[in-house]
Amino acid sequence: MKTTVPLIIAFLAGLAMVLSFFSGPGVPVVRDISAEFLIWSSIIGGFSFLLGVVSITRVNWRKVAARQHGWGYNLVTVISVFVMGLPALIPAGWLPEGMTSLAGRNAGSVYDWLFVNIMTPMSQTMFAILAFYIASAAYRAFRTRSTEATLLLLTASLVMLWRVPMGEALLNTITPALPDFINTYIMNGVNLSVQRGIIIGAALGAATMSLRIILGIERTYMGKG
Amino acid sequence: MNLWQQLDKLDRRWVFLLVWIAAVIPLIVPATFKISISPEGKSLFEAVDRLPDSSTVILTFDIWPNALAETEPMERAALHHLFRKNMYVITVANIPLGGPSVAERVTRELAAQYGKTYGVDYVNLGYKPGYVSVLRGMGTSIEGIFPTDNSGTPLSELPLMQRVKNYEQVDFIFVVADNATVDYWVSIVNAQFRKPVGAGVTAVMAPKQFAYVGSGQLVGLLGGMKGAAEYEKLVGKSGLATTGMGMQSLVHFLLIALIVVGNVGYIVTRQVARTRERKVKA
Repeated sequence: MKTTVPLIIAFLAGLAMVLSFFSGPGVPVVRDISAEFLIWSSIIGGFSFLLGVVSITRVNWRKVAARQHGWGYNLVTVISVFVMGLPALIPAGWLPEGMTSLAGRNAGSVYDWLFVNIMTPMSQTMFAILAFYIASAAYRAFRTRSTEATLLLLTASLVMLWRVPMGEALLNTITPALPDFINTYIMNGVNLSVQRGIIIGAALGAATMSLRIILGIERTYMGKG
Repeated sequence: MNLWQQLDKLDRRWVFLLVWIAAVIPLIVPATFKISISPEGKSLFEAVDRLPDSSTVILTFDIWPNALAETEPMERAALHHLFRKNMYVITVANIPLGGPSVAERVTRELAAQYGKTYGVDYVNLGYKPGYVSVLRGMGTSIEGIFPTDNSGTPLSELPLMQRVKNYEQVDFIFVVADNATVDYWVSIVNAQFRKPVGAGVTAVMAPKQFAYVGSGQLVGLLGGMKGAAEYEKLVGKSGLATTGMGMQSLVHFLLIALIVVGNVGYIVTRQVARTRERKVKA
């Protein structure tokens, strides 16, 4: 029973999606059933956030309670989750008059203030630091060790020059045809064909996995191999 | 230890310092550059420009806050174009942290500049989890997936959403994304609902999207800050991306210079080692 029911649900849900795709708008019953499944899927997705909050709280709180090494960071994590999340979820009506705009996610709310002044600068700082590490890594690791590595190095350097105005001006001084050459033969030639191969391969893999789930061959989502 | 060996073992903090200098100089001495327009950027602009005035466009904010330097200028330039053509704009986010808040801030700011009214000319649907279900579900009923907008107002109370029920009433999808959702806008909304899709993505994502432009599944493409600067130029509204071109140019030049120096050092050091080996053998 514990295995059969999930398998039947997965089969019916998958079948509804496939039928709705091929039947188009012509069969309203199939369309309505698939629409219902999609709404349910979105609702289930929402619950995964709740699961995430419970999980992050449990894992970090356990370390705080046990005063494990670095427990202060865990405490900050737990506090941050609730300080950021609760004001966004509290209904405005729960707050005293004059403070209702602090609830929710609109401009002027606590959530928005934290997002604009803490979350965004911190995320952007982390991302910007990548530029420093990439520069250091490029200096040390991007070497002409083989023919393939040399080709990659030359192509990457050309594309890097082509993607900035100063670089493009430099390429134009060599020959005005060079920027067009990069766009036509590197980006829309070699790159495009390789990307297509990767996309088709990934799509075939996804289709195979979907079929395995619909037919009940793939059961890892039930915790079984 | 000779010069090349010393360079080979250069402390990484010197590299960090050089990158910092390259990033700061354009802030102190701003310079303007001639921005060329790529065929993909031009094609996206023209696709939007060809839409009749008062068309309905979905503009996505599938973005995290860390890549805002690349994506926010695209959103701003796109909104300038859309509002200038009096289009009805529906914004939606498939990313929980970032998209809805940025959409709220940027859209309201630009809507005020063009005298647009919320609910009538533009709507922010906000975020719902599960982008595959969301994208598929919106094809049947937007209200089914988003019963309320980002502020909690029921869609039935918003004049724009009383008219727009699903993709049938939408004329164009302008995707701005820094993650894989653009693939789903292509494979679900373009492939299954036949809606034209154009995209603005981060520089690291752009190479993959060339495959969709080549197949006609994307009508055009903006790649990274350069793509954003191209759209800013096309709509005639210079912004952060155009300013950022100086910084990006210098850092790219520095990276190439570092790669060249690193390789010269590598080749010389290898040559010296080989010569020494030969001498030892002899």
